[in-house]
Amino acid sequence: MRSPFAYTPRSGPLQAASPGAAVAYLGALVAVAFLYSNPLVLAAVGIAAALAGYGAGAGAAVRIALRMGATLALLIVAVNVLVVDRGVTVLFRVGEAPLLGRVDLTAEAMAEGAILGLRAAVAMIAFAVYSACVDPDRVLRGLRPIARRSALTAALISRLVPVAVADAARLRDAGRLRGPAAAPVGRTALLRRLMAGSLDRAVDVAATLELRGYAVQPSPRRHVAAFPPRWGGQPCNKRSRYDRRFYLTGALVLIAAIAGLALGADSFHAYPTIEVGLGSGTVALSALIVLSGLAPRRRDA
Amino acid sequence: MPELSTPPRAAPALAIERLSYFYPAAARSRHSPRQEGVNAGCALRDVSLTLAAGEFALLAGRSACGKTTLLRAACGLVPHFHGGEIEGSVRVTGLDAIESGPGELAAAVGYVAQDPETQIVSTTVAAEIELPLEMRGDSQASRARAVEEVALALAIPQLLDRTVDTLSGGELQRVALAAALVTRPKLVLLDEPTSQLDPVAGDELIWLLRRLNEEWGVTILLAEHRLERCLAAADRVIAMASGSIAFDGSPRDFLAWAQQADAALETPAARLFSLVGIEPLPVGVRDARNILSSIDAQLGRVPDPGGCPPLAGFFASALGSRPRGRVGRKTNAAARGTPPRVRHPPAAATRDLWVELRQGDEPHDVLKGIDLKVERGERIALMGRNGAGKSTLLRTLAGLVEPVRGKAEVPGGMALLTQNPSDYLVRERVGDELPGDAGLTALRIVGLEQKVDADPRDLSGGERQRLALAIALAGRVEGDELPGLVALDEPTRGMDRARGRDLVELIEGFAVRGAAVLVATHDVEFAAAFAQRVVLMGDGVVIADGSAAEILSGGWYFATEVARILDLPGAITPELGAAVLGRETP
Repeated sequence: MRSPFAYTPRSGPLQAASPGAAVAYLGALVAVAFLYSNPLVLAAVGIAAALAGYGAGAGAAVRIALRMGATLALLIVAVNVLVVDRGVTVLFRVGEAPLLGRVDLTAEAMAEGAILGLRAAVAMIAFAVYSACVDPDRVLRGLRPIARRSALTAALISRLVPVAVADAARLRDAGRLRGPAAAPVGRTALLRRLMAGSLDRAVDVAATLELRGYAVQPSPRRHVAAFPPRWGGQPCNKRSRYDRRFYLTGALVLIAAIAGLALGADSFHAYPTIEVGLGSGTVALSALIVLSGLAPRRRDA
Repeated sequence: MPELSTPPRAAPALAIERLSYFYPAAARSRHSPRQEGVNAGCALRDVSLTLAAGEFALLAGRSACGKTTLLRAACGLVPHFHGGEIEGSVRVTGLDAIESGPGELAAAVGYVAQDPETQIVSTTVAAEIELPLEMRGDSQASRARAVEEVALALAIPQLLDRTVDTLSGGELQRVALAAALVTRPKLVLLDEPTSQLDPVAGDELIWLLRRLNEEWGVTILLAEHRLERCLAAADRVIAMASGSIAFDGSPRDFLAWAQQADAALETPAARLFSLVGIEPLPVGVRDARNILSSIDAQLGRVPDPGGCPPLAGFFASALGSRPRGRVGRKTNAAARGTPPRVRHPPAAATRDLWVELRQGDEPHDVLKGIDLKVERGERIALMGRNGAGKSTLLRTLAGLVEPVRGKAEVPGGMALLTQNPSDYLVRERVGDELPGDAGLTALRIVGLEQKVDADPRDLSGGERQRLALAIALAGRVEGDELPGLVALDEPTRGMDRARGRDLVELIEGFAVRGAAVLVATHDVEFAAAFAQRVVLMGDGVVIADGSAAEILSGGWYFATEVARILDLPGAITPELGAAVLGRETP
């Protein structure tokens, strides 16, 4: 069975757009998530990324990324609450703990952890949408002019996720086939094995790219930039009619976010007490970001 | 009238001189103070070799003897991609492969690696095949034509629209080969290209290579373990041992050399002839039949229209008498070990089993009403073309796939080893993978109890496979009793004959302990060596189910080399071929 994170050719605008436009659009959302700490703005970015995924037909990838993101966010909150003792609103006094010293669980540390977790979750959703909707073949070809001498870099960027997805499926199956007395696989061991295996495989893929002539300058006489449409592919360097939509949306979101920052829209402070700014500027920016999530929808949908 | 000048002599397709190579780890230890000057770990040792343009050479040798490294050196991956230390020279169609990188050599060399999954870089089949042409900057029209032609040549036009993650291993192998051939390189290097192909596709591939060689003048250097499949197509055989060239000569001379030097490199036909004492040794089925016919003619024998096949008559003559009638009674693997009498419930049973999988966005029936019963102690080979449903059947029995209709039952439990044993290995110590007494028991069953403290990465390929099997068995062994069914999916991939024989012994040991052993395999010679029963699948259904002797001697493709030569029911291995005839004589 295919992983929801694996790229599936569909006829949506996000899939039809050039990789550069798709990356500009999704990258703008991720950039806002890293520029802002305001929970309303972060939530808006998360909603926009999820809407984009649903609009592009990658609902399954969004759902799984949401689950994984929520788990990661909870972990971050738990660690932050235990490790950071700043803040004045003490929820629970744990007392002395080995290595950690005196531990007080504060509402402020919890809020800061939630912001960090939300940011990580938002990035995961955006990456899931990218992985499921942007054709890695076109990314590979698009990277060639800028990474011609490094097939490994290109392979890592374009193939690491598909390779890891395929490996993860096989490792999961092998984990289920282990005898009851064999040591349980465990998430850490599995992740380590997955990462090592995927990197090894990406190196093999890079070797294949070298053999296919990735690093060689094509002859100008022969060069014709096109890609036969009968095979469902898109030319890597041919612009789509949807490109403008994604470039414009990405630029609009980023400009509005930077302007908002300049105007003080990101008023959030966790310490010493939690302060969240929910002024009209923040609300307007959040609304704009949510609306940007509709960009991948077809106009006739 | 202009004078015709003599065309310049073509440079050799491949010229290697005094090549020695150390992979990075070996190179580092070579320079460590304690190992100064020691050549241990040398992957290639003083190799000299010249392939003329248009030659078809077969590279033979046991696992880890240096075949893959030699191929990597010939395409520039060694040392450019793998690093390490290299001495000597490698020239490919005149280009210095050590100076030029694999990219510069790409126009002249096509390389197909052992594992197709590592050499697929695109999402769709068409894009994968087209990639080298696109990298080269070919026009759309020439790309489309080249892709279409290579797809037709390899019989894969129906795959062009598919995404690569929906392909079986054999299909992936053909796609990788297509991507290597699409640029029409002058030299094609292939590293066990048939290891994942079914016998039909494997034979077709070898003859396609021969055709490319004859009609296009492509030079072929083919590394293979299944020599019987490709010896007849080769002009020359180069055998390697411990990183050096141990033999270089004609296929017939190679067989004579292998008979003395390394029996694991003998083909079944050569073994049959040497058992019966006939010379010269045959380089293939056709050659064997011709030799036998000529000897028949010398003896003045004429075919007996109502009796035994003429070749069987020859063999009887060679053994001192003529066989009487057909061979039939105890001729198959049953003669090598009868399973225990059946008193248990079946080890596995399926009833009207239907399985549907998605290929792309479309659901596809992979198993179509399979009815199968496997008894304890049976040794069964599950065979069939790539994509016939063998792996899916094993996965369904193991509970990895849910059937859409029907039942799959494994009452006594099951251990399944999938195609990639490394997937089972996630820790850095064997004992950590298999803790406690149950773990030790599992290790003992596969003969690895001495390796408890070893790092799985330091084990040989065969040992890693056994360790993975032990992991699948752990906790499923009660006392001395194994689970009802032990299943292995393509366990001989990349395995030489010597390791294959070890695996046969292991399988026979499992069966003696009462487990049914079900092995999905494309290797007919391996199947003949271990199986009592063969289940042949085609497009999701069982198309034949019978004794190994019956199934492996009754067809063209799913028949052993000996069976194809003798055409005698039951004579599927060299030993049986000779012994059966001997037994039938008074």
